[in-house]
Amino acid sequence: MSEKGLHVKIGELKSDLGLIKNLELSVGRIVEEKWAEPMGPTPFPSLTTLREWDMKLLQRYKPFYLPFCDVCCLCTFGKCDLTGGKRGACGIDMAAQQSRIVLLACCIGAATHTGHARHLVEHLIEKYGRRMPLDVGGLNIQVEAPVTRLVCGVKPETLGDLEDILDYVETQITHCLSVCHTGQEGNNLDFESKVFQVGMLDHVGMEVADIAQIAACNFPKGDPDAPLVDLGYGTVNIEKPVILCIGHNVVPSVGIIDYMKENGLDGEIEVCGLCCTAHDITRYYNRGKIIGPISWQLRFIRSGVPDVVVLDEQCIRTDALYEAQRIKAPVIVASEKNCMGLPNRTNDPADAIVEDLVSGKALGALILDPEKVGEVAVKVALKVAPLRKKFKAIPEVDEVLQKAKECRQCGDCRRACPQDLHIPEAMKVAMEGSLAKLADLYDLCVGCGRCEEACPAGLQVHSFIVKAGEKKLKEETYKVRAGRGPIQDVEIRNVGSPIVLGEIPGVVAFVGCANYPNGGLEVAEMVREFASRRYIVVTSGCAAMTAGMYRNEEGKTPYEEFTGEFTAGGLVNVGSCVANAHIAGAAIKIANIFAKRNLRANYEEIADYILNRVGAVGVAWGAYSQKAASIAAGFWRLGVPVIVGPHGIKYRRMLLGRADREEDWYVYDARTGEKVYVGPAPEHLFYAAETKEEAMVMIAKLCMRPNDTTKGRAIKLTHYIDLHKRLYGTMPEDIHRFVRTVADIPVTMKDEIVKILEEKGWKETVIPDPTLLPRLIRKKKE
Amino acid sequence: MSMFQDIPVDVGVIYEGERIRRKDMYVELGGPDVKEKFELARVKKPEEVEDGKITIIGPDIKDMEEGKTYPFGILIEVAGAKLEPELEGVIERRIHAYCNYIEGFMHLNQRYDIWLRLSKKSFQKGLNSFQYIGKVLHRLFKSELPIIEKMQITFITDAEKVKELYPQALQIYEARDARARGLKDEEVDKFYGCILCQSFAPTHCCVITPQRYSNCGAISWFDARASANIDPKGPIFEIDRGELLDPEKGEYSGVNEAVKKRTLGEITRVWLYTAFGYPHTSCGCFEGVAFYIPEVDGFGIVHRGYKDVTVNGLAFSTLADSTAGGRQVDGFHGISIEYMRSPKFLQADGGYKRVVWMPKEVKERVKNFIPAELVDKIATEEDAKTIDELKAFLKARGHPVVERWKEEAVAIPEAVPAEAEAREEAVPTMAPVVSAATLPITAGGYRIILKDAKIYAKRVIIRAVKSEKTEKK
Repeated sequence: MSEKGLHVKIGELKSDLGLIKNLELSVGRIVEEKWAEPMGPTPFPSLTTLREWDMKLLQRYKPFYLPFCDVCCLCTFGKCDLTGGKRGACGIDMAAQQSRIVLLACCIGAATHTGHARHLVEHLIEKYGRRMPLDVGGLNIQVEAPVTRLVCGVKPETLGDLEDILDYVETQITHCLSVCHTGQEGNNLDFESKVFQVGMLDHVGMEVADIAQIAACNFPKGDPDAPLVDLGYGTVNIEKPVILCIGHNVVPSVGIIDYMKENGLDGEIEVCGLCCTAHDITRYYNRGKIIGPISWQLRFIRSGVPDVVVLDEQCIRTDALYEAQRIKAPVIVASEKNCMGLPNRTNDPADAIVEDLVSGKALGALILDPEKVGEVAVKVALKVAPLRKKFKAIPEVDEVLQKAKECRQCGDCRRACPQDLHIPEAMKVAMEGSLAKLADLYDLCVGCGRCEEACPAGLQVHSFIVKAGEKKLKEETYKVRAGRGPIQDVEIRNVGSPIVLGEIPGVVAFVGCANYPNGGLEVAEMVREFASRRYIVVTSGCAAMTAGMYRNEEGKTPYEEFTGEFTAGGLVNVGSCVANAHIAGAAIKIANIFAKRNLRANYEEIADYILNRVGAVGVAWGAYSQKAASIAAGFWRLGVPVIVGPHGIKYRRMLLGRADREEDWYVYDARTGEKVYVGPAPEHLFYAAETKEEAMVMIAKLCMRPNDTTKGRAIKLTHYIDLHKRLYGTMPEDIHRFVRTVADIPVTMKDEIVKILEEKGWKETVIPDPTLLPRLIRKKKE
Repeated sequence: MSMFQDIPVDVGVIYEGERIRRKDMYVELGGPDVKEKFELARVKKPEEVEDGKITIIGPDIKDMEEGKTYPFGILIEVAGAKLEPELEGVIERRIHAYCNYIEGFMHLNQRYDIWLRLSKKSFQKGLNSFQYIGKVLHRLFKSELPIIEKMQITFITDAEKVKELYPQALQIYEARDARARGLKDEEVDKFYGCILCQSFAPTHCCVITPQRYSNCGAISWFDARASANIDPKGPIFEIDRGELLDPEKGEYSGVNEAVKKRTLGEITRVWLYTAFGYPHTSCGCFEGVAFYIPEVDGFGIVHRGYKDVTVNGLAFSTLADSTAGGRQVDGFHGISIEYMRSPKFLQADGGYKRVVWMPKEVKERVKNFIPAELVDKIATEEDAKTIDELKAFLKARGHPVVERWKEEAVAIPEAVPAEAEAREEAVPTMAPVVSAATLPITAGGYRIILKDAKIYAKRVIIRAVKSEKTEKK
């Protein structure tokens, strides 16, 4: 609880105690503190506070640059060619420029989450007051904001407390952004350190956003049995008026649902969502429907099902207004950040707006009052639905077959396709009268629509694919467990022992967006593989939806097949993008709850603990956005490696360890102070895999940590070797680097591995109490 | 060359969690549908064991009818210079893990309760004989437990033969249990230490004795003994228990030395049977917490699975938090459920005579080990939800702690608040509250004069004043 701005002025005061004259007392803030944990070394870290830690990581995991663009065109001296060691007009070299763009991207990402958090917190304070307590899980979640506590050293208790935290995050993001200006930072590693800083801030911003909405909107509070909700086009009852919400900020959707309920219209209207807003709709209202990840935007709008389209913020197609017009669906935009050129009708009477939208006089409206959005959207949906009759923008089969004949087979569509889909071949088959090949593409298409833009004949290629796959689209009826929010403290304690004893080989988080290399199926396959292997599998955002779009031989989706508990073989959907903070939070809580490491402003120590002990790996198989970049950066600084799909190389640089450089892999043994070789564990911090096979082997490998017990290492090695053998057909080449003592060798592979170790001249090493921080070397007490 | 090249299916740890449903099974062995089934390990003289011999009494898998259930027995006989009958149980329990490593072969439960299934898929791949299963077990046991020098395995599927051996097996289990339960800490020379948890909580060291299980509840003295024997350099090690310094509190000179060494001097003394003074440290994975309730001068117990708040208003996670991380905290004590079945359980504090509250679920599990006259005197969440209700309950039932209430003069062990550790109050990073260079304020009888003073504080922190806990020495 904190109070702002106290100012007392006393002219003259005579009392028994004494005389006081012209006393001015000014207090910026009064904080009542109930947190007994001592303040750690780095509260509210500035740009350089954690620089040393970053450099330790960056020495081991050196940036490996993959310039997406060879020139810099930010200032008027440019464009400057930076290839072949050349420097630009300002003196910048290629490495620094790449890191600079990464920093810029991460600043955008962090600003987006933080801006979202700020809007959310402001709105919720207005609605519920600053004193509303932040209950995110009652008794079972006492460490309510692990990231915030770790980074800032404060323990937020009310909505109002979150404002201070956002003040700090916003200031820091501004500083980081300013670093990108021409003629500021010149060293690539310093840029990278700031990337880590802004990634860390991003996690604070996300945490603030999610705990605010969990507490205020009464989302599931760390509930492993959060309800299973509907997912997929096929779950929407198209007989009813349909309101589609796209974006990330749940506030307008809450307005819609509340208005509907208050007016007895619950059940009369379908409220569905795309992207993270969809997750948050179902966290608020379990009859809401998730259509799918962002890549479903075009296909769902063009299908004609939505009667009203409500846009809030982030990851919304900027042509959503145009696409909605094509199906005669009015559009309501509800965020200051995304006005789409529409007139501001916030202060107009709701019925007037409704009339204009229904009559077609206005194509859309900007409404910055979520309650008004609710009223207008519901009224418009009810009135428009009978008029529109689900007017769609997808051609009929005959038309597709007819139009296909206009295809010139130039191949521009395939070249434009980020997935290199064989569209011309499919069009050729369509010319001959069959949609079979186009239908095959449906499963692989990520819905960007670039094929249409590229087509010189102006063919609606994407619509053709959707038409061909229409049957599949309509049959999409799946389940996903509504985002449960944070991991309970007790769950953390429960997994402590099996992690120590090796029964849980790791925690794998499938997060991020939907720019998948081969459609979404691969995410579900990977999720099932690792949940079946009794890893703890966590999901969030679009990846969490995609993981649900699969049925096993018994017809069960992964969320029905695996438990929602944070445990071996569990599949935990934490929620929307901003819920990613709970994944970092879980890793932090393992250090804090299980090992009792101080949390408060103790970033380095906790990150060191996670890097060396907690076998967690993030996978962003379809990462596309700047937000995904900053989320990843927050994980890196915390010591959690991230694997991205092939498009991830467009993030311009990887952070790769060099297993062959023995000197890179020494840690201190906190018991003795000696430096001990621990092998390349984890080998990389940021890695792009080209195929899901490569990713799966890498996941198993990156779960290894220097502190693994022998049993734990044996099990982790078993999974690594087994996956390598199955997917590559061979024994991994580097097995000797991960065996420390004979007891590490998986029991069922002893003969085979002992032979390899002999060939490689392997020597036994000790298992240390590992740390990279000399100050953590323990002093022996007498 | 793989160890299992000649086995028609794959063998690996990854198959451990595999479940085989009825519709996918080729045959079922043991399980709920047959009365007689068992698995048994016996330590024999070297001349009685022929290494690698696999015997099948009754129909082999290929002679079985698809979809049927058969009575089943596995007899494992081992010999080795360092093997002792105490290790039979440890060896026997590995049958479960090793069978599960076989692709398409499921093993559940243990002893007289075993339940196995072979999948159709694996049968079709050629796993059609117990010879294969035997070979896998033999190789895994020999490779993992080098103290086994010779091993022969017998599979029994003949109904008559299973029936004949079944009662004998039961007798052996019973004798083994009686021996294990009868074994007292004072009767052995060796205890065992476990520092597995140091990989996450570096100052914790478990002391495992015949009458005190590891905190996690997963490692008995026998298990520890086997592990230490097999891998003397591993995380479980032998402790020469040394001199018994205090039989009541459970202080042993050897334990003190070993713990001091393994915690780098962090912990110097350990009293094994008490929650006060120098209690055993708590790691992070203990199954339950014994917590002192000063208002009634007794102990509450709570296990990890208990979701509600306990009788003192604190939840498991809060209580656990006050003792975890390898610390010795007065009155907050991480324990295993099995320790609650030991006669040494909180012996120095009065044992069950001091236990006043525990969740019903725990009470059910340990009921037979609570002295009969106390069972009804210990409250559960159904009897008491608050301290006041608890007091009333204890009084009504005549719990022995009520006697202690009358002895007001008796020193009550110091009550320890949830924040038990002495913590430094200094907050070095805070901006100074007073910016004026001189500002004479003296309280207590003196007058204060403030003239033209300007006090600016960016932030003032108000903190409840807590009496710092004096550490008990």
